[in-house]
Amino acid sequence: MAFQEHAAEVAEGAAEKFNAGATIIEHVSNSSHDHPLVHLPTIAGIDFSVTKHVLMLWLVAGAVLLLVSLAVRKFLKQDRLVPSGFMNALEAVVEYVRDSIVLPNVGTKWVNTWTPYILTLFLFILGANAVGLLPIFDVLGLLNHWVLHPSDESFLSRVVHGGSTATANFNVTAALASLTFGAIIVAGTKAHGFVKHWVNLVPKGLAAPIYIILIPIEIMGMFVRPFALTMRLAANMTGGHIAILSLLSFVFLFAEMFGRAAAGIGIGIMAVPMASLLSGLEVIVVLVQAYVFSLLTAVFIGMAIHVHH
Amino acid sequence: MNNPLVQVDPGLFIWTILTFLGLLFLLKKMAWGPLLKALDERQATIRKSLDDAQQAKVELERLNQESAQILAKARAEADAIVARSRSDAERLREEMKHKARAEAEGLTRNAERQIQLETQRALGQIRIEAVELSLSIASKLIKRNLSKEDNARLIDETLRQIDSQRN
Repeated sequence: MAFQEHAAEVAEGAAEKFNAGATIIEHVSNSSHDHPLVHLPTIAGIDFSVTKHVLMLWLVAGAVLLLVSLAVRKFLKQDRLVPSGFMNALEAVVEYVRDSIVLPNVGTKWVNTWTPYILTLFLFILGANAVGLLPIFDVLGLLNHWVLHPSDESFLSRVVHGGSTATANFNVTAALASLTFGAIIVAGTKAHGFVKHWVNLVPKGLAAPIYIILIPIEIMGMFVRPFALTMRLAANMTGGHIAILSLLSFVFLFAEMFGRAAAGIGIGIMAVPMASLLSGLEVIVVLVQAYVFSLLTAVFIGMAIHVHH
Repeated sequence: MNNPLVQVDPGLFIWTILTFLGLLFLLKKMAWGPLLKALDERQATIRKSLDDAQQAKVELERLNQESAQILAKARAEADAIVARSRSDAERLREEMKHKARAEAEGLTRNAERQIQLETQRALGQIRIEAVELSLSIASKLIKRNLSKEDNARLIDETLRQIDSQRN
């Protein structure tokens, strides 16, 4: 909390000393639960208030839902199924996910069962990752600062606080990984029955003492997979943003250090293009991480269906 | 821990799950289900169209071959018909020729016989007339024994008489 309060102070008083660490953290972490966007009651010790990342999840889900369902509706209304425009890209994504991610892992029998889940996962993560690259709230912050001047308690001034990449928050990625964890169990249970799925976790026909070691290892493995998914996505999404923000911080740090704007602008001539290049790299990371999460989910589901030891 | 980057936030965790499940449910119902079905159907349609095209091509090939066969057969048949009619005509002409020749021969033979008959008849008549003439000459001679000049005149007269009778 101290970090966030400090960050808020920094954001408010431009005349105060620039704290790069606090500012960067402020830009990649969720908004504070002390000042949520919408206050909701605490149920069973869980604060359901809508924070910045919850809002981002809703925005992404809404955008994905709207874009996809409208495109598909329009596509299916045609008398001939010839895709055009956005539907072309969407169809390419759908067929790629189905034929290159889901099908090779789960097989023809289960491909239509799991394609919707993997597709939704892919588009949701991709959307959440990509939105983090758009500086929409920073533009809104500028507008607030110079044009709108909303009060500190208004929605508009609160919404600019906190990072906009929900998938950089490990709570979000842990939730997505938990869904995959559940999906693995559902897939195994659907394919082999509930008991058989758990029996399948360890290979058959080994000496009894080996099972004493193997069973804990397999159970650990069961949890390690979603944990790895959680950390990989959150860390990748956070890391790139921190790198870009660090580069941009040089401008302010140098300006402060030398006491003149020219120093900041001078370093900016180098720092800003580098940050742009990193943003380009981020576009790739955004795609790759959404792909990796979906692919690994498909692989794990496939492993539960086709048991190999 | 105070660092907001590693702050546990069960509310966000649950919101994520709810948001995702809601999105999954809606998309599955409104988009993925119908879309995947439509894509499968389109795939089947395309496969069927290609198969149909292939089949049509084979069929066309077969029909082409068949029509070529029919054409060749018809041509051969026509040739055979022409050859046969030519030989028929030849035969007919030969037959007609034979028949005509036979008929002509018949006619000739008939005419010859007719001529022969007429000749014989004429000869018979001449013979009879000669006898009559002789008889009349003889009777005249007998009736009138005349001079030599008279005799000659009488013969002339008789011959003239015969001539005029003939004409």
